[in-house]
Amino acid sequence: MKPIETEIVVVGGGPGGYAAAFYAADRGKKVILVEQDKRLGGVCLNRGCIPSKAYLHATKLIQEARESAHRGIAYGEPKIDVAKLRAWKEASLDKLAQGIAGLAQKRSVQVMQGRGHFEDSQTLRVETAEGQRFIRYQQAIIAVGSKPSMPAAFDLGNKRVMTSTEALDVEDVPEDLLVVGGGYIGMELGTVYATLGSRVVVVEAMPAILAGADPDLVRPVQRFAEKNFKEVRLGVKVLKMATSGKKIQVTMEIEGKKIDEYYDRVLVSIGRTPNCKDLGLKNTKVAVDEKGFIRVDSQQRTADPNIFAIGDVVGGMMLAHKAAKEARVAVDVIAGDHHEFKDVVIPAVVFTEPEVAWCGMTEAEARQKGIDVKISRFPWGASGRALSSDRTDGLTKLIVDPETERILGVGIVGHGAGELISEGVLAIEMGATVRDLAEAVHPHPTLSETLMECAEAFYGYATHTYTGRKTEA
Amino acid sequence: MDIRIPRLGEGADSGTIVSILVKEGDVVRKDQTVVELENEKAVAPIPASDGGKVIKLLVKVGDKVSVGQAILTLEGGAASPAASQQSAPARAASPVPSAPAAPSAPSAPVSVPAPASGDYQYESKTGLPPPASPTIRRMAADLGIDLRRVRGSEHGGRIVLSDLRAYIQGLQQAAVSAAPSAPAAAKTAAPAPAESVDFSKWGPVTKKPLSSLRQKIAQKMSESWQAIPHVTQFDEADITSLLALRKKHVAAYEKKGAKLTVTGFILKAVVRALQKHPSFNSSLDEAAQELVLKQYYHLGVAVDTESGLIVPVLKDVDKKSLLEISKDLETLAEKTRSRKVGIDDLKGGSFTVSNLGGIGGTFFTPIVNRPEVAILGVGRGVVRPTAVDGKVELRTMLPLGLSYDHRVIDGADGARFIREIVTSLESFGEDQVKI
Ligand SMILES: Cc1cc2nc3c(=O)[nH]c(=O)nc-3n(C[C@H](O)[C@H](O)[C@H](O)COP(=O)(O)OP(=O)(O)OC[C@H]3O[C@@H](n4cnc5c(N)ncnc54)[C@H](O)[C@@H]3O)c2cc1C
Repeated sequence: MKPIETEIVVVGGGPGGYAAAFYAADRGKKVILVEQDKRLGGVCLNRGCIPSKAYLHATKLIQEARESAHRGIAYGEPKIDVAKLRAWKEASLDKLAQGIAGLAQKRSVQVMQGRGHFEDSQTLRVETAEGQRFIRYQQAIIAVGSKPSMPAAFDLGNKRVMTSTEALDVEDVPEDLLVVGGGYIGMELGTVYATLGSRVVVVEAMPAILAGADPDLVRPVQRFAEKNFKEVRLGVKVLKMATSGKKIQVTMEIEGKKIDEYYDRVLVSIGRTPNCKDLGLKNTKVAVDEKGFIRVDSQQRTADPNIFAIGDVVGGMMLAHKAAKEARVAVDVIAGDHHEFKDVVIPAVVFTEPEVAWCGMTEAEARQKGIDVKISRFPWGASGRALSSDRTDGLTKLIVDPETERILGVGIVGHGAGELISEGVLAIEMGATVRDLAEAVHPHPTLSETLMECAEAFYGYATHTYTGRKTEA
Repeated sequence: MDIRIPRLGEGADSGTIVSILVKEGDVVRKDQTVVELENEKAVAPIPASDGGKVIKLLVKVGDKVSVGQAILTLEGGAASPAASQQSAPARAASPVPSAPAAPSAPSAPVSVPAPASGDYQYESKTGLPPPASPTIRRMAADLGIDLRRVRGSEHGGRIVLSDLRAYIQGLQQAAVSAAPSAPAAAKTAAPAPAESVDFSKWGPVTKKPLSSLRQKIAQKMSESWQAIPHVTQFDEADITSLLALRKKHVAAYEKKGAKLTVTGFILKAVVRALQKHPSFNSSLDEAAQELVLKQYYHLGVAVDTESGLIVPVLKDVDKKSLLEISKDLETLAEKTRSRKVGIDDLKGGSFTVSNLGGIGGTFFTPIVNRPEVAILGVGRGVVRPTAVDGKVELRTMLPLGLSYDHRVIDGADGARFIREIVTSLESFGEDQVKI
């Protein structure tokens, strides 16, 4: 069969892949988007960001209703229909996926459903339902993403041992749920199940949950988990698992002692692995690192001059918005423009209770690199808005270069931190100083004020907090 | 002695240690902040109530502490003057410019008046690039400007558009004043103009200003000649049978209103050779360091006009029959001679043929028409006794000179290419001529 000719083929229809395909089409290129799943949107839409946030949104109400009692407004116990909850989630995913498919069509991006495999540096074979298709391209963009890691010792072939994918298809509410790994995925899904009524135990091998976030930002999340989960065990290692009737027997090591426990379900959330196997990369010049991530330069070029790679499959911060930014870089470079993924501020958001968000340099990073920084903190106990909404479990902080007063990093923990962090991203990207932030009037009473007051606190004159520092002339 | 958490104010009697600003072995001054404490209302810096060397830290980040609790132990203490003296050398050891650096600092701006902005270098203690908005950073990257050399005028040293503009102007001024002759020469690609000579000393002369076309030709020729390392490869083609073919069909062509010329045959042969040797149908992108191979065959044909050489371009020669080529050639040459060619007719060539056969002369070395990479010069066919299959016969030999850009094309390929043309011309099939 004659190969189909195209300028650009994008392999993988996740937030990296479809962003690349759309942008390339907007720039006048002929594009084919290859995706093995029926639904576009990748992990993010189908089994990641979107469904997890849907569940967090739905279950948050349970939490809020409970907390409402002490304010004199009490509700009865919620009735939970797991099947209906799942159907609602599916319906919203469908709507989103249809939206993406519609946008592809409007842009004349040809979507080919099937598994892509590289035959050589310029040919992709696609296994479609109607048989093989060959695509001859000028440039390919690999955006095949990642999947949950599942060590052999945990992989029992028992559906009670879940990854995030299965956990997001809530089948039932297990009485006892073990979450292995206290990263953001484990903590988010742990929150969903705990709120639905599971007794959740989180086991983390490291000495802290949410690695990467500053300890002061993690503390409120830790407190919430201590209160609402059965337990958070730090510095504990899960050694093995075994099927034991309707339970999973889990062996872990706590302070040198081995103990056995039984759980109804186990969620393994210990990291993600790139989807590079069976992609035919051997037939190209694309190189991968020790962990299997595709190596790219700052322009998203792989070692093969005809092939670019973006998103989770190249590692780094494995987040949807990072993938989308890399898509812009790759397409611009293909179109002959200068663009680099360099000095880009990628915000991180954890949708736990409360939310944690940070961008730019963290305090820990500055300390570790020996960079002299000044930290300004504004605890939410001093925010009228936080008080009136009963959410004083928050903190806003700025990481500042003392010499130039430039804002190097912003960290927020608290209700709605994910929405608040964007102002920090803009500030850092613009090279703003603390003064700029302090001078910009923020509306009262809002949580966004905490950013302004935190900036004012840097100079020692925040209205609603007293730092004891004197303003310098 | 121990440093303890002091009374913090009403209602605040405990908090969490969020940062510790000293470590064991440090020397602290009285009132220096040693830890920061966070409580519901504020983050409070906790000062040392005395000076001295820290021998033990009694708390760690995250600890809950209350008023009166000891946070660190100081050696000795009380002797604050000694402590502050001790602290001086300790601080000087760190890269903070203290006493020794101070005298030189004020003198620096005096001795270095920073004439051009080119001398500035951003120093980053944080490891981050200088502060500037994404738009400015993108613009600088596009222009190939290193922002670390641009002085930012806004608070915190932030670089804005006017800073970038000032920097570029500075660069331009520097470039102009640096070497007035060298860059100018490079621009026009012409050697420094020779001094005017008064030729009338030796006899009568007339002076004629150069037409703009002549000036253009002069400039283009010098540019091509200087930029391209030329090699010219010669060969001859036996066109005896080709001429016979032409004779046989010339009348039929004439009936269709076309003139069948040797140039037409040559263009056909050239396209075939270009298809087999794509590097001759290319351009060198010096900036990108890329060879741009063209998938079209637009041939420039040098035309001698009253005012000088003009090279109109015959488009898509590979897709045309000899009849179409002949027709197009004639109209194009006519349009050129009457100076009616449009600018589009002069652009986009991928290879040039210069046939001087109609005028005379044998071999010559044409100059490559940059950014093309090769040109074929054709002289007048000469009837000569030639050895054919061991017998001497009278044959018409066409002199050919192929000049090429030696950066792109190797000598061996040059020879192969010209052989390809010769073979094509010598074995021209009648099917290609017949109409
Ligand atoms: C539970 C969970 C929650 C998350 N929450 C967030 C969040 O809140 N915010 C955030 O930014 N990120 C979140 N992420 C991460 C986010 O989902 C990923 O970073 C993002 O999806 C990566 O996008 P991508 O385009 O690189 O790849 P993916 O989204 O993984 O998409 C890759 C696509 O390629 C397809 N594919 C793979 N191989 C082939 C092949 N050979 N041929 C054809 N198609 C192929 C796959 O089917 C898939 O659709 C979350 C992830 C999980 C698991």
